[in-house]
Amino acid sequence: MADSIEKGIIDIVADIAGVEPDEIHPETNFAQDLEIDSIKAIEITVAIEKKFKVSVRDEDVPKIMTLQQAVELVTKLLEQKGLMHG
Amino acid sequence: MGNAGSDTYDAVIIGAGIGGLVCGCYLAKAGMKVLIAEQHHKPGGYCTSFRRKGFLFDAAAHSFGGYRKGGVVRKIITELGIDQKLNIDCFQPSDTVRTLDYTVSFWSDVEHTIAEFERAFPAERDRIRSFFTFLQSGSREDLIRLRVLTFLEFLNTFFTDAKLKAVLSLPLFGNGGLPPSRLSAFAGVKIFSEFLLDGGYYPEGGMQRLSDAFAQTFTESGGVLRLSADVQNILVNNCSVGGIRLASGEEFHAPRVISNCDARQTFHTLLGRPHVPDDFLHTLDGLVPSSSLFVAYLGIDQSFSALPLPGANIWFMPHYDLERAFEVSRQGTIDHNKEFMIRLSPDAKTLLAFVNVQYIGKSYWSAQKEDRLQALLSLVETRLIPGLSKHVMVREGASPHTLYRYTRNTNGAAYGWASTPSQFLMPHFRMPSFLKGLFLVGHWTTLAQGIPGVMYSGLETATKITKRRARTLSCH
Repeated sequence: MADSIEKGIIDIVADIAGVEPDEIHPETNFAQDLEIDSIKAIEITVAIEKKFKVSVRDEDVPKIMTLQQAVELVTKLLEQKGLMHG
Repeated sequence: MGNAGSDTYDAVIIGAGIGGLVCGCYLAKAGMKVLIAEQHHKPGGYCTSFRRKGFLFDAAAHSFGGYRKGGVVRKIITELGIDQKLNIDCFQPSDTVRTLDYTVSFWSDVEHTIAEFERAFPAERDRIRSFFTFLQSGSREDLIRLRVLTFLEFLNTFFTDAKLKAVLSLPLFGNGGLPPSRLSAFAGVKIFSEFLLDGGYYPEGGMQRLSDAFAQTFTESGGVLRLSADVQNILVNNCSVGGIRLASGEEFHAPRVISNCDARQTFHTLLGRPHVPDDFLHTLDGLVPSSSLFVAYLGIDQSFSALPLPGANIWFMPHYDLERAFEVSRQGTIDHNKEFMIRLSPDAKTLLAFVNVQYIGKSYWSAQKEDRLQALLSLVETRLIPGLSKHVMVREGASPHTLYRYTRNTNGAAYGWASTPSQFLMPHFRMPSFLKGLFLVGHWTTLAQGIPGVMYSGLETATKITKRRARTLSCH
């Protein structure tokens, strides 16, 4: 599960940043390492929300600065969704 | 044709709009062999100019923004040396909103703008400052939070005065074709920061000069620009693009095709089934294009006192209900449109006026063009410039069909896709995953609007392509 979340996010970020998936590591900082500006940061957020069918809350927006943070956030949101529907 | 005898390129670009030209310049400067094919006989798309009886008119785009230090247009124009080829003037104020109660202007000195708004709306004084501060220095997180909001929802977080909200929204209604309840908050903030807080720039000699300077830089860098070249198909080999075929039958081969033309043309006409999956076409058909414009070009015999300042965009409305104005504009008749933009050209010899309208149909606009031009002229004369018609030496109109004819934008759409929150920032529309080597640039990418936006998309795509190419080359 966690692996497929990570792969999904890497694919999104690689496409939007124009890099190869193997260039993205857990600690990769989107802004500093991949030159993700605010437009691309919104694209990544929107694409993550669409792909995993989750809503990123305002207070969670600062938590998607690195791949690891993005994976943790999506995992948490999916768990919460599972609890709601479960 | 340059590069004698060869029909193979590293990249082919369809359309010499500003997005295509910027992308082409960066690719050519990176050493790639690039062809741009443009159906019109001049480059620029909506950024072109034409002459009638000695008067010079800008066809659609009539100024640009984003040129202050750190702005995307400044970066691109400087990096490509375009500023060595032309003089760029800055007209102040860049924009003025006029209603029956208020006249408020936008200046590149933001404090000046804030002071004007504070004088006009003293009850909202503190919030006016917070609003402009946000526009100038909203953080990345602040901007990401805007992705789901409409511009009206964003305005509501600052203001209660409905008139102030309408005054702030009118230039966006003109620059984006949507009322605040439908416009994406992020798109609205971009229009503010790139056009209204840093607007008024104009290439000396007309907007065509800007497009021509990019075209010249492109060819000087080894690029080949083919004008009056109607692209019929994008060639496809096994889920990868292979080049283009012109209506004349000529074929040009390339592993990358960058479309700077209308998205529906790209996916339906130039590609089509089976190269584009049904579900993608289905999504595409569900997207709504932006509205179109009816434009009046007026050559005037002399300066007279009722004329606005040269180089300033004057946005006029005699009411504060942009939601209703949007519904009225969809009728497309102009008889009931009450709001418009008018601008006296920097040379003070011509006026450009426009209203938002819908396409309706070719036969409607062919039959009605002269009448609708008169309706727009009367609207401007009655509301803002008394005596105007006595001074008009040359008059010409552009209907949505005219805009379509010169640019092939679906239904003469002025701004690509309508910038609603649900249609904003969809990356698979500028680099679809089902076709390797296909990219889109320009205002149909769901990424960009206006000259700063389309320039950004051209640069962004070129950067992506050159990075990948450098990596591939280093592997061999």
